[in-house]
Amino acid sequence: MIDDCRPSTKKVLSMSDIQNKIREEAKKALESGDVSVVIGWGAGTVAFKTTPVFIDKPEDTDKLVWNPACVNNLAVYLPKMAKDSKAGIIAKPCDIRSIVGLIQERQIKRENLYIIGLGCSGVVDAFNLDSQDFHVQDVTGLDWTSDGLKVNTTNGDYTVSCSDCLRDMCGVCTNRNPAIYDVKLGEGTEPLETRACSIPEIPEERRKYWSEQFSKCVRCYACRQVCPNCYCEQCFADRIEPKWTAKKATAEEAWMFHATRAMHSAGRCISCGECERVCPVDIPIAELMREMANIVKERYDYEAGDPEQKSPVLGHYQDEDFDPAAHGG
Amino acid sequence: MSEETKVIDTQAEGSAKTSEWQPRILGILCNWCSYAGADLAGSARLHYPETIRIVRVPCSGRVDPMFVLKGFQKGFDAVMVLGCHPGDCHYAKGNYYARRRIALVKDLLKTLGISEDRFHFEWVSASEGNRFAELVTEMTEKVKKLGPFDGVTP
Repeated sequence: MIDDCRPSTKKVLSMSDIQNKIREEAKKALESGDVSVVIGWGAGTVAFKTTPVFIDKPEDTDKLVWNPACVNNLAVYLPKMAKDSKAGIIAKPCDIRSIVGLIQERQIKRENLYIIGLGCSGVVDAFNLDSQDFHVQDVTGLDWTSDGLKVNTTNGDYTVSCSDCLRDMCGVCTNRNPAIYDVKLGEGTEPLETRACSIPEIPEERRKYWSEQFSKCVRCYACRQVCPNCYCEQCFADRIEPKWTAKKATAEEAWMFHATRAMHSAGRCISCGECERVCPVDIPIAELMREMANIVKERYDYEAGDPEQKSPVLGHYQDEDFDPAAHGG
Repeated sequence: MSEETKVIDTQAEGSAKTSEWQPRILGILCNWCSYAGADLAGSARLHYPETIRIVRVPCSGRVDPMFVLKGFQKGFDAVMVLGCHPGDCHYAKGNYYARRRIALVKDLLKTLGISEDRFHFEWVSASEGNRFAELVTEMTEKVKKLGPFDGVTP
């Protein structure tokens, strides 16, 4: 089951050890003048949340943190911040897959990056935490242990099983170690069991399911803003001419927005699940992305964020590709 | 780009004025093969249902997946994309790129629960006027059986 998942039997560094090493590495990089900024996570207003921080002075590196609440995919900042100068980034394996994608799509250059890659045991879903015995307001610290998530609170310590607090995307993640890095810290744990899909199979029910989900959309575009793949200078959703989708938050327009975004992400999404996390109305966007990713993998043997791939899946073709024509070529 | 979307918009408004329900099919055709094929079907006086509304594009590689999505959003009952046979592309390889892209659109539609029978992708050359007429007839029959598309709203 999902519960015997936390740090494997081999001796691993605790997250606070790794946090110290992160600070050291960031400090070294800034002091040497190699990078102008280090992008990482800092403590949030509450202990179970973190916030992206941009450190540009060596003495500020103590603001960097590493704990199971470091959810943000920081690669989203790179197309702007690593454009003309070298930036340091602290990245989980999924963030690194985003970075690989950005490099393949020529949005950033590898030589403009200093990557502090982390082994990962998954991150927590703050909403799931809230459903436990304690109040999230009382939380003072989080750490993975072999039994699950250790939560320090002002009223004592609790242990929460992984299945109760792990983010959905982390439960199915199979890449627990960074694919590319300049420094690697920590070791990823073994992948967990694959989660079954909860979306109906029958087309008509499926159509209903998705149109109902999309009809909740308030068009805040948080999913787009947080997505490292959505780096277009002008999004199709913001265009007046041609008007691909109107700005009004109707079900029909929302469908067009989400269907197009799914198409634009097909074969590019690395399943970090950020879109789903930031969605204020809980649309399971990541589920749709994951289904598309599975199709791409099965058909083209292509996985987004894999450094072995030379070009994006829709950026090249092979003569013997699958033929979608109903009667063949 | 804007031209095609305008055409999709206006085509979606017209409706067949017959007593029996007639599906409205959006046809996105490559200028060099399929559109010429459709033209041949016309000049050969071949009969096919007047259900298809054609948008001419320079190449199947020009078919932005959003054309297809827009078609369904605007309430077409089905969408057909026709292009040159592999190896026959006027621009050498546009249809090879299209092949991957269209395959993914097809999957996306399936994932979103739009019946596979409502989307048709086919290679039709300039000499295949017959084939074009057959395809439209076939598609019309298929969609008639399915009935009107329920749209993208719940």
